[in-house]
Amino acid sequence: MAHQEKSEWHSFGRQSFEKRRCPICCILPPHMLDKLLQQDDDEQRHSALSTLRASEQFRGRRTVVRNVSFAVSPGQKRRTIYDAKTGTSLPGVLIRGEGDPSSDDQAVNEAYDAAGATYDLFREIYERNSIDDRGLRLDATVHYDSKYENAFWNGDQMVYGDGDGRFFNRFTIAIDVIAHELTHGIIGYEAALDYKNESGALNESFADVFGTLVKQRSLQQTVDQADWLIGTEQFTSKVQGIALRSLKAPGTAYDDPVLGKDPQPAHYQDLFQGAFDDGGVHINSGIPNRAFYLTAIAIGGFAWEKTGKIWYTTLRSGLRSSSSFKDAAAATVAVAGQLYGQDSDEQKAVQSAWQQVGVS
Amino acid sequence: MHISFERSGGVTGMPVTVALDTESLSSEEVSQLYQLIESSSFFELPAAIPAPVQPDRFQYKVIVREGDRQHTVTIAEPAVPKTLKSLLDWLIEAARRHQS
Repeated sequence: MAHQEKSEWHSFGRQSFEKRRCPICCILPPHMLDKLLQQDDDEQRHSALSTLRASEQFRGRRTVVRNVSFAVSPGQKRRTIYDAKTGTSLPGVLIRGEGDPSSDDQAVNEAYDAAGATYDLFREIYERNSIDDRGLRLDATVHYDSKYENAFWNGDQMVYGDGDGRFFNRFTIAIDVIAHELTHGIIGYEAALDYKNESGALNESFADVFGTLVKQRSLQQTVDQADWLIGTEQFTSKVQGIALRSLKAPGTAYDDPVLGKDPQPAHYQDLFQGAFDDGGVHINSGIPNRAFYLTAIAIGGFAWEKTGKIWYTTLRSGLRSSSSFKDAAAATVAVAGQLYGQDSDEQKAVQSAWQQVGVS
Repeated sequence: MHISFERSGGVTGMPVTVALDTESLSSEEVSQLYQLIESSSFFELPAAIPAPVQPDRFQYKVIVREGDRQHTVTIAEPAVPKTLKSLLDWLIEAARRHQS
């Protein structure tokens, strides 16, 4: 019922039952788009907006499919992997469904396996049933576009590019990158953190946190054994860098003559305050990332157990869409107190971690 | 002609920025660039095109100055028309070529 209260989503032509979920955050409502279309008779604008309106993202493609699939097998892992064959039409050709044997295509199997590992962490450790906690089928498309150097969750499904091959490997290669994207889906159904400024950096940080937890659990690594990096396989050997991001030491993941240097701050005093990147959502996430890392190291053991539980519970019930770093610090401290006791070692670990990154 | 370009976002979060002046480009690059500006109807595009917010999608900002006209387009990936995509892809390549 928690979702019901956050029902101000602009459903954009979806049926009303869809409103409880947030497939695409802050989507433009139809009346606004209509207004824009009518407001200006400039031909170019009209055609651009018409194109936009007709585009995949605005159609709510899975509205019907989702509705049907709810009734099928809730509580079970259901994965479906498609191939866009280097085009941009989604979802593409069906290649592998749940329980099907491995494909000859490595990208298909990686997308399938990592979605499974992500589902399993949330199901087995946090008792969450898929992205929406209602058994949503996990759809993914590989080989999207040509040389596309990205992966994303479009509100309906996962999408993976092949990378340019020169600097970036295929975007299914790293389990934590896949789990990062699926976590964006979960965040959309929970705190729905606004994708800008500090709330947006928290959105990115939660995605990195559960990204690395899925990886650490798949390798059965304790906090001391884990590398605390995101996407160690993502770069080709040509790139001077070890990963896309470091939770342990933000700002140190890469420094390459062509691709530039890791811009992440590790402390609040170095907060990026420009407009770039939605107010630095991929930049400032270094700060809460490090707070998570420091907490996990202090608590010890497997990070997905106690520390992950604090962060997951906070994501579910401790934050709102506009939450700041300070709000997140207060919420994780409060949750740690509820779960492990006031003044418990766990709560102190959380408090100390946020202090160390300058947020308290 | 002067072009300033930036791309932000993407799961990698790695920014791409470049400033290009046709005077310092090869004649082949200059002709490609003029063709792409033309085929994208760049100067007629709206300054901002609305798009749904999707985490980890790319965002682009392109400023082109030629003579006494200048135009800025800020656009998120889901709204990029096919005609503009070729220009954006070309600019990413150019950014990397001219960075090293």
